[in-house]
Amino acid sequence: MTSTKNMVLTLLIVAIVCSVVLSFVYSYTEPRIAETQAQLTLGGLKQVINAQEFVEIIPDTLWNAVDSSGILTGIVFRVFPQGYGGPIPITVGLDLNGKITGVRIASAAEGLKETPGLGVKITEPEFKDQFIDKCAPEAQLKSDGGEIDAITAATISSRAVCNGIKNGIETYLNYLETPIDKRCVFSDAREFVEIIKDTLWYALKDADTIGIVFVGFTQGYLDCIEFMVGVGTDAKISGVEILYSSETEGIGEAIREKEFLDKFKEGSAEAITGATVSSQVLIDAIEEYITRYKEYLK
Amino acid sequence: MKRRNLFTRGLVKENAVLVLMIGLCPALAVSGTVRDAFGMGLAATFVLLFSNIIISIMRKKIPNEVRIPVFILIISTFVTIIDYVMQAFQPDLYRALGIFVPLIVVNCMILGRAEAFAYKNSVIDSILDGLGVGLGFTLALTVMGAIREILGNGTFLGMAILGEGFKESPVIFMILPPGAFLVIGVLKALINKYVKKETQ
Repeated sequence: MTSTKNMVLTLLIVAIVCSVVLSFVYSYTEPRIAETQAQLTLGGLKQVINAQEFVEIIPDTLWNAVDSSGILTGIVFRVFPQGYGGPIPITVGLDLNGKITGVRIASAAEGLKETPGLGVKITEPEFKDQFIDKCAPEAQLKSDGGEIDAITAATISSRAVCNGIKNGIETYLNYLETPIDKRCVFSDAREFVEIIKDTLWYALKDADTIGIVFVGFTQGYLDCIEFMVGVGTDAKISGVEILYSSETEGIGEAIREKEFLDKFKEGSAEAITGATVSSQVLIDAIEEYITRYKEYLK
Repeated sequence: MKRRNLFTRGLVKENAVLVLMIGLCPALAVSGTVRDAFGMGLAATFVLLFSNIIISIMRKKIPNEVRIPVFILIISTFVTIIDYVMQAFQPDLYRALGIFVPLIVVNCMILGRAEAFAYKNSVIDSILDGLGVGLGFTLALTVMGAIREILGNGTFLGMAILGEGFKESPVIFMILPPGAFLVIGVLKALINKYVKKETQ
């Protein structure tokens, strides 16, 4: 009986002492752990964009980057495209023109499951820094029509990163105030020279003028529509983006769809069924603007 | 002289990983880089040293029948402490070691020293024994980590030491799981040769 009592007592005392010690250690380290975690997230965000503060818009997914005087400098978002070994955690910063300011890819220690020595090379600056200053259509592998060099023997991982970033930009671009980069309507051009402030630019490549980019307005069905168009010297449209529209949800807003906008490039844009007014005014307005700026194309 | 032996025998002659072949799970799993291996070794040494001390102090008070649960309680308390501390001050290392930090609790090397040594010997002897075995474990892991990181990644503590060319195409096999078995096998063979020579 004494021995049983002794056993129980010993275990009880040891357990109580251990619990007390642990609760002391916990209360001491807990704030520090929370701080480290917060700093890790914040540090990751600061690596991809130059900003002082981050305002969370979608928890753990999307942040507004704000400078010290509280002005929006861009957005940061996280995507998890499927790579070769598992999802790849990527943090991307975008400036107000929709261009990438920085890319951060989690290391193997942080949960990246790509093949050591091959796929994990996506975390190296040689690869990820290629994305800086690119906009969505350029953030693709060269073999897919973009400007990114794939890593030898790690094409799947490389392509997954590109697609994740491109899809992320397309998803979150509308969170930016002035979302469209001029390169998105004129992907061949490398430089833009302003002719009329905030309205008309020459598109240059290797110091040759290869076309123009302009911003136009028209009255839509409900509200004004603001659009950006790129036109080559051959008078062919290289791209159209809607900068602002507030047409009927689900009907007139169809003018924002890629399918409709892409038809301009083929010169075969036609009104959308059910959204005739919105789409037709846009088609007419673009034609009118091109006629107006024709002399700049010579 | 005898006391010095208590410390030194754990380093090489009775090295836990390479001679006694215990504590192999973390040795194989986290010896991919020097930093991880060294961190794991120090964490295990900390737990081993302090559990040895406490168990040795309490050895006359612990009833024989419940000694194993008491050992486990003490060991897991120190493991939880190192878990919290590492999470707070070394978050990168903590994430790299992952599940293997809490798994120190069931590392048979630590429970083995508690049962076979600390429970029967004085505090001073237990400190020497814990340090020797723990540092032997750290040594074995760090050597494995160094070999695997240098050959498998072309780096040592993250620095490219075999030239950029080698870093471009290292022996990837070495940092994958089979590399761990190969390295531990080669080291074991070398230790066997060395230890045999000495006893002859």
